[in-house]
Amino acid sequence: MTEEVRLQVQDISKTFGITKALQHVSFNVNKGEVHALIGENGSGKSTLTNMLTGIYPMESGKFIMDGVEIHPKNQVDANNMGIAIIVQELGTLSGLTVAENIFLGHEERFITMGFRNTNQMNAEANRLLQQYGFDHIKANKMVDEYNFEDRKLIEIVKATYFHPKIVVVDETTTALSQEGREELYKHMNRIRDEGSTVIFISHDLSEILDKSDTITVLRDGIYIDTVKSKDVTEEDLKRLMVGREITGDYYRADYGEKISDEVVLSVKDVTVPGVIHNVSFDLHKGEILGFGGLSESGMHEVGKAIFGASYDREGEVVLADGTHINSIPQAIAHSIAYTSKDRDNESIVINQSIRDNIVLPSLDKLTRIPKLPFLNWAAIKAFALKYAREMSVKMQGTGQFVSELSGGNKQKVVLARWIGKDSDIVVLDSPTRGIDIKVKQDIYQQMDKMRKEGKSIIMISEELMELIGMCDRIIIMKEGTVSGEIMRNRDLNEHSLIEMMV
Amino acid sequence: MTAFKNLSGATKGYIVLISLVVLSWLIFKILTPHNFGTPEHLLSYFQASLIATVGAIGFYFVMDMGLFDFSIGANIILSAIVGCQLATDFNLGYTGLVLGAIATGALVGLCNGFFYVRLRIPSMIVTAGLALIYESLANYIAGGAEQTLPSDLRGLGQMPGNLILAFVTFILAWLILNYTKFGTYTYAIGSDEFVAKNMGINVDKFKVLAFILSGAFFGAMAVLTISYGSSMVAVTGMSSMSRNFIPTMGCFFGLAFMKYGIPLQAIILGEFIVNIIFFGFISLGAPTAIQDVITGLALLIIITFTTKVNKGEIVK
Repeated sequence: MTEEVRLQVQDISKTFGITKALQHVSFNVNKGEVHALIGENGSGKSTLTNMLTGIYPMESGKFIMDGVEIHPKNQVDANNMGIAIIVQELGTLSGLTVAENIFLGHEERFITMGFRNTNQMNAEANRLLQQYGFDHIKANKMVDEYNFEDRKLIEIVKATYFHPKIVVVDETTTALSQEGREELYKHMNRIRDEGSTVIFISHDLSEILDKSDTITVLRDGIYIDTVKSKDVTEEDLKRLMVGREITGDYYRADYGEKISDEVVLSVKDVTVPGVIHNVSFDLHKGEILGFGGLSESGMHEVGKAIFGASYDREGEVVLADGTHINSIPQAIAHSIAYTSKDRDNESIVINQSIRDNIVLPSLDKLTRIPKLPFLNWAAIKAFALKYAREMSVKMQGTGQFVSELSGGNKQKVVLARWIGKDSDIVVLDSPTRGIDIKVKQDIYQQMDKMRKEGKSIIMISEELMELIGMCDRIIIMKEGTVSGEIMRNRDLNEHSLIEMMV
Repeated sequence: MTAFKNLSGATKGYIVLISLVVLSWLIFKILTPHNFGTPEHLLSYFQASLIATVGAIGFYFVMDMGLFDFSIGANIILSAIVGCQLATDFNLGYTGLVLGAIATGALVGLCNGFFYVRLRIPSMIVTAGLALIYESLANYIAGGAEQTLPSDLRGLGQMPGNLILAFVTFILAWLILNYTKFGTYTYAIGSDEFVAKNMGINVDKFKVLAFILSGAFFGAMAVLTISYGSSMVAVTGMSSMSRNFIPTMGCFFGLAFMKYGIPLQAIILGEFIVNIIFFGFISLGAPTAIQDVITGLALLIIITFTTKVNKGEIVK
């Protein structure tokens, strides 16, 4: 590995209103390395890379790439300078073909006299897709015809086909299955081996240690340190990120506690055509029941089916009192909460305030006179503030728009909503996706507290370690059916779960 | 059924559209067999449908970006009056008629786009406000009098003139949509404006361009309208809005069939269907109010059945 500097980050600062997102951040990134950027949610990682890739305008400070100061105005400008980004959520545009997405903003090479040579563009896109080993994706097809994973593969091609000098991979792995991750790692290694640089953002510290060469730590918008991956442990990184030792238990510490015999929810032969088939299980009072499996195993649909959010669902979801749950309003009315994996599209009302998001399902109890529709604004504000604080949401106030929050803080708002609702059955789909170590710990502790209060939790996750660490019982899904069930025990490890998954 | 599923998107789209053409024809043919639906009649309906099709095709560029235009009718009236005056009062003949109307339409589009981008208020509101101004302007230019196109300048109101002008506009729109950067950016902006902006696309510029292009197509529609109808009356008080319906309806067909990859073809056949229904009612001698109610319902049904929305997909 060379030690030649590729990028100098010099004295970068950025503010959003009164929030100081970055304060005088300076560090160097070398050629031919995977350089990880870590920090808690809101530490400024994405702000920094968004400025580098032209998504946010520069405010003060400099980016110097290969000795030349750069000021990318937008993503295409950044591409032209040799910088690309693969984002966490979907970065492809519906309504365009695969080829149009790959070359969006770079169509000039196919244009003669104002007209685009579509055949030539498709042929070039197909050549690239074949070169990357993504033969099943066809350039002339609409991108909408492909699933999330394939659209991520298209993004990989789009971001790297022109051999950029720097590729930013911004929390992309959390959105991918293991197979998708391996594909991404392969290309990260290729980029490094070609002498280019990968700036890698992830909250998975073991992944960071395994896949990166160098790690820069940010905390509250301030540069903390740059270390070599081989010289540090996960505990060192946690300490650098949080600024103190992470004390107390991370996951649950108890083993051998008997699960209550009281069944609060029964799922009987639930089928959602094409997704899950004849899924049956009971959820007990005070139990954390985990669901694991590959991304497309159907486990995410189980959460929706319980909440009444699946279409064409067959079978029964029955509460202890015999109530059948068939719709979302029914589920909420009977104290069931649900947080979706697709946070931005299915859980958060993105253009509303933190306050509006938190109080949304609880408005009935925040009226001036019970059962009348006149809202009590003082109570609403106090309610939102109480639960936002309980979840330690980093915010200027509860009136701040959710769209301005980092991913982790958005997730905290979603959880604050359901904690405020005081639901007895909580379905959490990927609750710690894209969330930093400290917030993860907060969420795990909150789950443990809820469990001890007698609330029942269904936790759906692609993170096997958190299932093992938090759940009383884990159900493994494979190809839409239950492939195994395993009880909490000290000897449980990832391998025993993986065997049931694949 | 499986065989249908295996067909390409475009083939499926054509099958649905052609079936709708046949179905709408068949219903009225059964109801009024003697004065509806002969080959000569169908040709006449198709010629009439070409007028709105030209405007709808231009409007597609605006609607696909998620924008709207309430000044369609006012634009057509203003462009037709300017074109007519240039052709007659200024003795510029067909050149004045065609270029004058298209240039006026484009200018109206430019104003719509400019004010929408500058004022940062929804396109529906901007264009509704501007429509009042265009109506007044048309009234002022016409001096309150009906503008009549002399018979020797009405060649574009009949075969083959109307067909040639419409064909030229279709080809132009098809080329722009499929073979230029502008076409791709139209879809990109409609899909996700924020991402499009981050891709270096000057979103405001392309929105203004879409309005100009749409305006120019409405200018061409104005030429066909005045050539077919021989005269144009300037109206005020938003009365021009009644001209919005048919091109907008055709555009809905385009949006509904976008997923099959044949939006422009869908607009052409969609407008034809609208006209078959319209002339079908005339043949039946149905009162205007009944015609409007049933036409509206029929079109809603057609769009509902042809637009297959995925479960859970949000429709706004």
